[in-house]
Amino acid sequence: MTNRKLYFILLVAFSGMVFLSLGGGVWGAGQSINHWTGVLFQSVCHQDPTRSLYLYGAPMAVNSRCFGIFAGILIGWLIIPLLSAINFKNKLGLVVLLFAVMLQILDYSGNLMGYWENTNFSRVLLGGFLGVAVSLSLSDFFYNHNQT
Amino acid sequence: MEEEIQTQEDPKYGIGDYMPSAGIVGVIFSLITFAIGLFFGYQQINAEPTGSFFSPFMISSGVICLISALAGLLAVWHFSKEVSPKIKLGQGAVLGFLTGAIIAILSVVFSELWVMLFDPEYTDKILSSLIANIEEMEMPSAQKNEMIDAMAESVSSDQSVLRQLFMGIPITGLINLITALIGVKIFAEKPEEKF
Repeated sequence: MTNRKLYFILLVAFSGMVFLSLGGGVWGAGQSINHWTGVLFQSVCHQDPTRSLYLYGAPMAVNSRCFGIFAGILIGWLIIPLLSAINFKNKLGLVVLLFAVMLQILDYSGNLMGYWENTNFSRVLLGGFLGVAVSLSLSDFFYNHNQT
Repeated sequence: MEEEIQTQEDPKYGIGDYMPSAGIVGVIFSLITFAIGLFFGYQQINAEPTGSFFSPFMISSGVICLISALAGLLAVWHFSKEVSPKIKLGQGAVLGFLTGAIIAILSVVFSELWVMLFDPEYTDKILSSLIANIEEMEMPSAQKNEMIDAMAESVSSDQSVLRQLFMGIPITGLINLITALIGVKIFAEKPEEKF
């Protein structure tokens, strides 16, 4: 495995990001808005409780799509060493990433224009796909010796 | 001589080398996202409360997040054009995080300047409009009231600007770090294959 140090630093960072995105409920607060976990994410997420998952009675610090993206990034990151072990060649990483981004835009726009109504489950699923695609698009940095 | 070759092949950069790219891209993206936020903010103020999720303010959050996430990628592109096309993964990570940090800081600074110099009631008007919209939402009233109280408290808190300033950095920085890594993949010069 190459770039091992950066891999582990980012593993810790992504784990922290997912944990903190669980919001105020984990820390005994009834809300995530204005809780310090909510303030952490307020510049990157609209934090609408009607579109968020709930934990211990409080909405998470991010909406369901953002939570899916963060969790997906972490899951993808954890998969990277396995891909390294089987010497997987990820040639379509950026294409899959672009496809995942397009899917989010399509889903958001379709919902906005009233063609369909997405749910927390569908948003987590699509967000998770994007997150995994992000991590896997970077996977060859960590085991392909042709990249540094 | 050997050391010189090593330096040329494996360049080391300091913060000063990253700052032009991080600064230029950070300032441009902060201005763009600030302008978009302001545009949707005034749309929100002038909109009738519908209780719908798709209020102008909520749409602006998605658009701003999407746009500002690209800053890390573009900072790497700028660096590869202006400083050196040889950029390693870790160097891209530092550049992306710095860019995100600059965006997080400048976004708060621009917003505060707007409120101080041009529209002192902007925050209150946004808050009133958002609360009116939440009141129309279909959700349990206890949850609704708690949310409104939390929002009102977050705006009235004296420390909210400082909190926004420093607590916005880690996540915005991390997201731009990720896009900067993608930028390294796309824009950095690939080493020659050795057979």
